Amino acid sequence: MKEDLEKIRHEALDALALADTAAAIQGLRTKYVGRKGIVVQHMKTVPSLPVDDRPAMGSLINGIKRQLESAFDDAVEALVLRQSKTASILDVTLPGRRLDRGRLHPITQIANSICDIFLRLGFEIAEGPDIELDYYNFEALNLPKDHPARDMQDTFYVSDNVVLRTHTSPIQIRVMEKQSPPIRIIAPGKAYRVDSDVTHTPMFHQVEGLVVGENISMADLKGVLATFVHQMFDEDTSLRFRPSFFPFTEPSAEVDIRCVICRGAGCRVCSQTGWLEILGAGMVDPAVFKMVNYDSSKYTGFAFGMGIERIAMLKYGIDDIRTFYENDARFLEQF
Amino acid sequence: MKVSIKWLKEYVAFDVDAESLAARLTMMGLEVEALVDRYAYLDRAVVGKIIHMEPHPKNNSLHLCKVDIGQKELSIVCGATNVEQGDVVAVGLPGMKLSTNVVIEPRQVYGLLSEGMLCSQAELGLGPDQTGVLILVKESVPGQKLSDAFGLSDIVMEFKLTPNRADCFSVIGIAREIAALLNLPLILPKAGLVEGDTSIETLISVSVESPQDCLQYFARVVTGVKIGPSPQWLQNRLVSVGIRSVNNVVDVTNFVLMEMGQPLHAFDYDRLAGHQIVVRTARAGETFKTLDGVVRTLDSGMVLICDAKQPVALGGIMGGENSEILDGTTNILLESAYFNPATIRRAAKKLGLSTDSSHRFERGVDPEGLGRALDRAAQLIVEVAGGQVAQGPAHGGGLQFDKRAVEPIELSIGRTNRLLGTKLSAGQVIGHLRSIGLKVEVLDDDSLSVVPPSFRVDLLRPIDLVEEVARLMGYDQIPVTSPVVPMIASPPTDRLRLREQVKEILLGCGFSETLTYSFIGADSFEKLSLSPDDRLRSCVTILNPLTEDQRVMRTSLVPGLLSTAYLNQTHRNYDMRIFEVGKVFFAKKGAELADEIEMISGLWVGARHVRSWHSKGDGVDFYDVKGVIETLLGALDVKDVTFRAGNQEELPYFCAGSMANVYSENVFLGTFGQLAPFVTSSFNLKRPAFCFDLSLDKLIDRVVWAKKARPFSRFPSVGRDIALILNDAVEVQQVVDFILGTGADFLVSADVFDVYRGKPIAEGKKSVALRLTYLALDRSLRDDEINVIHEVVTKQVLDAFKAALPLAQQ
Repeated sequence: MKEDLEKIRHEALDALALADTAAAIQGLRTKYVGRKGIVVQHMKTVPSLPVDDRPAMGSLINGIKRQLESAFDDAVEALVLRQSKTASILDVTLPGRRLDRGRLHPITQIANSICDIFLRLGFEIAEGPDIELDYYNFEALNLPKDHPARDMQDTFYVSDNVVLRTHTSPIQIRVMEKQSPPIRIIAPGKAYRVDSDVTHTPMFHQVEGLVVGENISMADLKGVLATFVHQMFDEDTSLRFRPSFFPFTEPSAEVDIRCVICRGAGCRVCSQTGWLEILGAGMVDPAVFKMVNYDSSKYTGFAFGMGIERIAMLKYGIDDIRTFYENDARFLEQF
Repeated sequence: MKVSIKWLKEYVAFDVDAESLAARLTMMGLEVEALVDRYAYLDRAVVGKIIHMEPHPKNNSLHLCKVDIGQKELSIVCGATNVEQGDVVAVGLPGMKLSTNVVIEPRQVYGLLSEGMLCSQAELGLGPDQTGVLILVKESVPGQKLSDAFGLSDIVMEFKLTPNRADCFSVIGIAREIAALLNLPLILPKAGLVEGDTSIETLISVSVESPQDCLQYFARVVTGVKIGPSPQWLQNRLVSVGIRSVNNVVDVTNFVLMEMGQPLHAFDYDRLAGHQIVVRTARAGETFKTLDGVVRTLDSGMVLICDAKQPVALGGIMGGENSEILDGTTNILLESAYFNPATIRRAAKKLGLSTDSSHRFERGVDPEGLGRALDRAAQLIVEVAGGQVAQGPAHGGGLQFDKRAVEPIELSIGRTNRLLGTKLSAGQVIGHLRSIGLKVEVLDDDSLSVVPPSFRVDLLRPIDLVEEVARLMGYDQIPVTSPVVPMIASPPTDRLRLREQVKEILLGCGFSETLTYSFIGADSFEKLSLSPDDRLRSCVTILNPLTEDQRVMRTSLVPGLLSTAYLNQTHRNYDMRIFEVGKVFFAKKGAELADEIEMISGLWVGARHVRSWHSKGDGVDFYDVKGVIETLLGALDVKDVTFRAGNQEELPYFCAGSMANVYSENVFLGTFGQLAPFVTSSFNLKRPAFCFDLSLDKLIDRVVWAKKARPFSRFPSVGRDIALILNDAVEVQQVVDFILGTGADFLVSADVFDVYRGKPIAEGKKSVALRLTYLALDRSLRDDEINVIHEVVTKQVLDAFKAALPLAQQ
């Protein structure tokens, strides 16, 4: 009996050594340790043995059974390992099951980057209505009715007294009406002008900035905008400030940056000038302070404004502004 | 405004090339937009020598000429009679555009090829002579460019002037800035008016009835003029700045306008009834025919220049046909006036008529320059058209309108430096101000008393002078510093935080952000099939939209999303997952401004997942959109979210039976579901579209901002299932609510894992399977205790919903 079992064990292990498929291993497993397998059959003979022999024989058979079972398990494991090394079961070039992720609109992305820079400088975000009173959009900004500077902006009217804001500057006034200096805000938002071509859409986005305090100077304005430009573009992007005119600032400046495309050599984007106009800025006009009851002998301030589309077009190399509002998926998915 | 370099050099003798001058002027605040070579159009005109000439065999009024143009000989057929063999002439090569706008091309003339054209002075735009070919001196070199041969070169600078610089709307104005820039003297034209004996009083009387609109009115009379073409120099000046030559008298008024910036007007004196000038405001509805032949309807805000009987000019804007200078005019009245800028601007805007005159009056002309310009024009008219100037100008009006001469501006050096962030000395500030003709007196260590010249109508306040100092020193000389301000920070508002989070979550759900115009077409409401009194129709209308599809401010983001989906569909993109976070606008009764509400809307069209080998591209359905809403509100921790079947009457653009409203407690947040098929088809979409429309404004108060950790169990939970046969009408949420409401011990959740309709379940019934989870915070639960609890719960549910257990469990 003992010898028989030993023989069976050897037979099984020898056969297993030759089995090279999962089916063969399973066949052996059934043959030896299956419910009707050889080893299990032997187990059934144990009760017929003399009482004294039963425990020893029982544990022998059980030992062999456990040994074979673990040998079969190992063999299967080894087989899987072998197969995984030799044959590629998966076509790894088939597309995976992607978890879709949407994209933020490029204008939002640029607006966020602009705001982030100013937030780091300690500015706060302020917002205001898109449909605005003539008073906030023009008059309080030193643009009385019949002022020629109103020609600079083609206005959508809702009534004689209500307009779609032509810039985000009215937010300045609304903030100053409610708050006393010091003030450091940026005001991102939509603006509207009667204009539509390759570089103008009737709706567009602006970011306005305002700093008011004691001893705020034009040199500070240059400092803040230089920081902004260097972070938004890069440290090598130089700026120049050119005298200009806005009714709500004096002195006023147009701010140009070295063309980010040609680096100043002259190209189509900068009309061969080497410079790109990206910002309007200036020192808050005392007339504006008067409208909000700020003492202009005590406080000074600067304001600036920029078009987000303009900056996005430069950053991303887009030459038709209208692309932003078509929302073609093939465009949106690039950002 | 255009100014030619040659003209400028009459008043300031500079020797700087046009490009660097333009760059420096730009940095001074006079932006030069373009530099144009006036004679660039002569690029294809060369000197040619006629080396052979013979009659045209088929037409004896023409000649065939062999013309030497240096490198080449051309055959040119010519009809002119003033040329002969050996003449040196002006040749236009193919591609050249003549002043008649004809472009020269090689062509066959009676069977012979003509490879160019012999041009007249007029055709070349170089003078009035059109009688024959322009003949050059014999020494001219064939092949040389015509512009070189004549020494023609003149660059025209095109300025983009800011509205405050009224003084620069003239050649002298620009010359003055150049003189200051280059530290050169300004050479003004010499006054040399010779008056005759006749006194102006005997010729004309001027009365100004509305002095607040016309503050000053000067007139001169020139008698015995001969109207004719202007001399070449005068035509040339006007052409260089883009003004058409009319006749000698009109040309002089335009010349002085350009030279000095003062608009003038010339009337035919003999056509002025009663030899009288009356300046008055128009009567509402009064009509007047302006020089351009248009009959204009006026209002009481406009100024009319009248004679004894009728209006003769629309003051400050345009003259009238009834008094214009004609070929036979012999006596003229010249007007030089100062009109109220606001009056002119209103009138010009209302009439939609902007002229060189109105443009300057709107911005303010030199109040002290009226007489000077008038005298200059009278003198030039005598020069080019003969005649005699009557003695003295007639004068009307006379309001004092320039207070600055009596009230100098006080400027503080310290404040100037503080504002600019500079350290300028008094001497530097004074130097800059004086360089542009300001009178400066030192009051004390810090203060200056400054009187600007009359033409600088923009300099009224100390700040205006600070800007001049900054501009003249150069903005690049201002240092770069960082503002020193108190370190105060306030947290971002809930709105900003929420907006950012919402976008972030929706991106994670696979939705891309779109931005669409805030205005939509008024027909959008029809397309959404809104009832006539629908809330969404109370929109704000734009009075002057660019196009009809931008007529009203949106009251919903949905039309924009649908239009976007349509645009993409035209590019064969049928699967879209897009959202927009933006404002909608509602007209508010009794208020001027609109209600602006921020919305979160999304659209899912086409496939749930893009079709691939592992996905058949099944269409999106209601539960996909609901899943998005659940994900969004879940991630935001919105309080007590409930879903209720929606009322399609309220929002007719959703599909009945496939829409739901979402609430937080009882606050309505929005709606989602399938859009009605007629809505998708009115936007031309081919696939079913699912949409959500939530109010960000409402959501702000419903979000739990301050998060608190809740204890969670470290012991295993026990799950037990219930399967029920329910009436189809019973909403599963009712069952879930009931189960959780039983208050059974250890019960923490009830989740639906199967819903089945069909055999063997009876018609009108459904089988619903739920998994109940039991959990204790402090220990492992025993099967037997849960069995007891679960049995009770099961029985309660069966009783409450009159439900049955499935057959298998009965």
